[in-house]
Amino acid sequence: MPYHKKLIRMLLLPALLVLLSTGFAVISIYRNGSFAARTSLVSTGTSVSTGASQAGAEKSNTVSIPKSLIPEGHILFIENCSSCHTNTGEGSYRGPNLVGLGAATVDFWVSTGRMPLSQPGIEAVQKPSRLTRQQTLAIVAYVTSLGKGGPPIPKVNLKHANVSEGQTLFALNCASCHTITGSGDALSNRSFSSSLHIASPTQIAEALRIGPGNMPRFGPRTLNHKEVEDIAAYVTRFIQHPNNAGGVGLGGVGPVAEGFIALLIGLGGLMLVSFWIGDRQEKEESRDGH
Amino acid sequence: MNSTGYTNGKLAGSVDWMDQRLGLARIGRKIMDKIFPDHWSFMLGEIALYSFIVLVITGVFLTLYYVPSSQQIIYHGSYLPLRGRRVSEAYASTVNLSLNVRGGLLMRQMHHWAADVFTAAIVIHLCRIFFTGAFRRPRELNWIVGIILLILAISNGFTGYSLPDDLISGTGLRIMFSIILSIPVIGTYLGFFIFGGNFPGKLIIPRLYIIHVFIIPIIIAGLLGMHLGLLIYHKHTQFSGKGRREQNVVGSPLWPTFVAKTTGLFLMTFAFIAALGAFIQINPIWQFGPYQPYKISYAVQPDWYMGWLDGAMRIMPSWEWTGFGHTWPLEVFIPAVALPGLTFTLLFAWPFLEAHFGKDKAEHHLLDRPRDKPLRTAIGAGALSFYVVLFGASATDVLANFFQTSLNLVLWSFRITVVIVPIAIAFLTYKICKELTETPYSGQRKRAVVMVRSPQGGYNAYRADPHPDTKAGQVAEPVPIEPESTQA
Amino acid sequence: MDTKENGENINAVSKAGNLSAGNNSHNLANHTCEGCGRSDLAEQERRRLRALEVVAQLSVIGALLCFIGVGVTYWVGGQNQFLGGFLAAGLALLGIGVIVIGKYFMPQGPFVEQRHEISSTVQQKQLFEEALVERGGSAFKRRKFLGVLMGASATMFGITFAFPWIRSLGPLPGKTLFQTWWRPGSRVVTVHGRPVKVDDLEVGGILTVFPEGHAGSSMSQTILIRAASLPITTRKGRETWSPHGYLGFSKICTHAGCPVGLYEEQSQQLLCPCHQSIFDVLDGAVPVFGPAPRPLPQLPLGVDEEGYLRARSDFLEPVGPGFWERTTA
Repeated sequence: MPYHKKLIRMLLLPALLVLLSTGFAVISIYRNGSFAARTSLVSTGTSVSTGASQAGAEKSNTVSIPKSLIPEGHILFIENCSSCHTNTGEGSYRGPNLVGLGAATVDFWVSTGRMPLSQPGIEAVQKPSRLTRQQTLAIVAYVTSLGKGGPPIPKVNLKHANVSEGQTLFALNCASCHTITGSGDALSNRSFSSSLHIASPTQIAEALRIGPGNMPRFGPRTLNHKEVEDIAAYVTRFIQHPNNAGGVGLGGVGPVAEGFIALLIGLGGLMLVSFWIGDRQEKEESRDGH
Repeated sequence: MNSTGYTNGKLAGSVDWMDQRLGLARIGRKIMDKIFPDHWSFMLGEIALYSFIVLVITGVFLTLYYVPSSQQIIYHGSYLPLRGRRVSEAYASTVNLSLNVRGGLLMRQMHHWAADVFTAAIVIHLCRIFFTGAFRRPRELNWIVGIILLILAISNGFTGYSLPDDLISGTGLRIMFSIILSIPVIGTYLGFFIFGGNFPGKLIIPRLYIIHVFIIPIIIAGLLGMHLGLLIYHKHTQFSGKGRREQNVVGSPLWPTFVAKTTGLFLMTFAFIAALGAFIQINPIWQFGPYQPYKISYAVQPDWYMGWLDGAMRIMPSWEWTGFGHTWPLEVFIPAVALPGLTFTLLFAWPFLEAHFGKDKAEHHLLDRPRDKPLRTAIGAGALSFYVVLFGASATDVLANFFQTSLNLVLWSFRITVVIVPIAIAFLTYKICKELTETPYSGQRKRAVVMVRSPQGGYNAYRADPHPDTKAGQVAEPVPIEPESTQA
Repeated sequence: MDTKENGENINAVSKAGNLSAGNNSHNLANHTCEGCGRSDLAEQERRRLRALEVVAQLSVIGALLCFIGVGVTYWVGGQNQFLGGFLAAGLALLGIGVIVIGKYFMPQGPFVEQRHEISSTVQQKQLFEEALVERGGSAFKRRKFLGVLMGASATMFGITFAFPWIRSLGPLPGKTLFQTWWRPGSRVVTVHGRPVKVDDLEVGGILTVFPEGHAGSSMSQTILIRAASLPITTRKGRETWSPHGYLGFSKICTHAGCPVGLYEEQSQQLLCPCHQSIFDVLDGAVPVFGPAPRPLPQLPLGVDEEGYLRARSDFLEPVGPGFWERTTA
């Protein structure tokens, strides 16, 4: 074999190594978010939740929605929701009754993009909402005007939240379904606990209060408002922006992913090295080929 | 040349002093002349050896910070979500060494990655030995030592995994306690004696610690010495080839060629483990929080070398049996005690089983090509696929979530594949081996078939000479390494 | 080392076993290549080795720089990725340098060494037997009883010395696995020790609870589910166990002991996060899927006049995974 070919082969491995490590370095720095200020992300989250609050409601722990939004909400409801829930929100075989459902429930399903469904009859999954915050609140205003009941939208203020309290509550109440890293997992029979990586503080608080889908309900006597805020703070600060000081987080799915890496990159890479160092002897050809 | 017999002045000084006390020159030359086969697959065991060295180097560092105690204290470290929480000293010290000790996280991650690579290298080395028949007489004893090393490596992996006392490892210990309880007759007593009482107790962490950092490593080091000693005594096996016979070993001498290559491999092993430790996070225990017996996270699995046991526990049907006035928790005992017991018993017994049923008790130093022993290869491949499926089954929930399909469906498919796949793989392997051995020139580089027309009009076909790049044509006749005096 | 010595050394080695770096090229030259002369081949080989030498040099220089990088990174704070990255790159480059030297600049052979016979000869075997049995056993030949006594005392030492190694390790299980801290009338408290009142949970809510005075107890952990607002009869004879729709089940999985904390509110199932056993809550937590063999034991609950939830008794069967003595008591 000409020597330059051998040279290329020989340089291939170090080149691959360098490439791999640069890649991982870039990814890990990106994932660590060491260049992004963590605090700014949190503060935008807070501003969303308080954005709609009205002057008189500052003291209480709930978001009140101006009645003036009801007409706009009515129009939006007719456009987006009525095909399943009917014009009066009483529901049909396609969608449940919404009368008396409460602001938190409506806001959670709409703001997380689960509602409106992209087509009737499919499973509601989280997706970016195509409605603005104002439009969502308008729908909430309209639906809550149809009948009283249900929990209001909690007003979440993370300023004085205690993330340490939040961590311990999260580990006790949330990790058993959502995993301790918040990545979500499969429940029985094709239902899933959702990933918490894109939830806003308000959505977290709403979910705790209303228990959407298969999720249990955590009322104010189980988790008080402060505790809800602690959990929301822990999730938005440390689940969504984990301290991945050690490098790429592998999606936080645990040792199975780590095992694959150890086998593929660790052992696989070292086997390639051995392959380079050692001989690949071909079997001596028999001379009886004529 | 001076009175000592050395030409080199430096050797005359230091080495001769040693020689007068140890006969260093005679032994030294003998050792330097030892021949190591060059085939790359002989280096897999070396990867394991070097991972172990990395484990010892990094592990010693960790012991300087880790506190083996279940004592509950209040965490006051730098990680905000844990501040003011009651955690065990073991957990607090591990978080501290990860986040506050300079270089500590790198050492911890390298240690964990090295453990994963160590066990992986042992398993792949075992596969090489198995499929090439290197365990046959006279090497059965070394095979047994190797299997013990594998068991010890797995055990030490588990004990080390449990030491940080985080949410996930604590759950692992809880499962281990239940597994011990499942052993008929003695299980309950065994569990209480090992854990120093009912789970969780305060004694298990310090006990695991001494087992992890002292007892098992010492035994591993001793057995490694024995493994290598036997290897030197028996000399290496080798693949057949030009000049390679049952009576000789062909390859490179220990000094200097092998030393350089193997030092290179050591450095590369160290480098790969360091790269993994640097860039891929492993077991971020600060994110998991401390263990409390009533807390649990979903998506918990053990490290990969224990994954097959976890997978077996998941797919096992609920076959608890009550009989003779006692409870037999077979749904735990079969996958978690009987399965590994049977696995390792079969591994220990394999060389003897094969010798007995294959009626081959002769000494072997030339290796088999796997295809030439279709039955062994088929059984090995089938068994391997069985454990791979079990490993996959330890991630049923993660897989169901990843593919957005039903958890129940995934579990049932594993219950079915765990039976079908090994049989199918074994059957296919057998067929492929047979095919390969019966096909002429298979596995050899292709050669042109030349057709020549004779002046009489007849045709004659023959295979052309091998291509100049083909190594088979270049293999030189091996030359003796020993000085003439010792050969005589 | 002066050149004269050097030359002599190589010479000596070659005599002893043809150990010279040129062996490699010699092999190549052995293989004739039509159309290229011997000198061409030698020239090619020379250039190849030169290039490899440069690679080795560059690698080792790179390694040196990387190790300096390790030191600098450590000094400025030891950021994990840079510290480990430099370390890995340095080790890898050094490794490449060493491997290049070993693979291309050192004698490659193939060399051969002869094996020795492993089995002993008949005579050696006889000598061994003689020493072992005749010489070694001579003292005991007519003193069999002494031998037996010695064996007995050694065995006794082995047995008695093992006592502390087994019995001192932990207490006897006794009734530990058969009971929890729940007593008739125990108030139900949260992990913080706060007593639970009857309107604390909304329908569809859960809470991990303990008997009062034993918050955090591993054996007594119970999952409190409010599955409805009215009493639910999960089993015959359990009509009074679920005031206001409160159900209490042992949180320890009957399979491998993990906390069964995953409650699916719509499908009314409890799922164990460890091995995915699924329990039907409304049917008394019987396992409907997965490896768990038995239902989670149900805690009989009641409400006192102040509205606090209280246990009516302990669990009526041992909680947690199966064990040998489970059915004997």
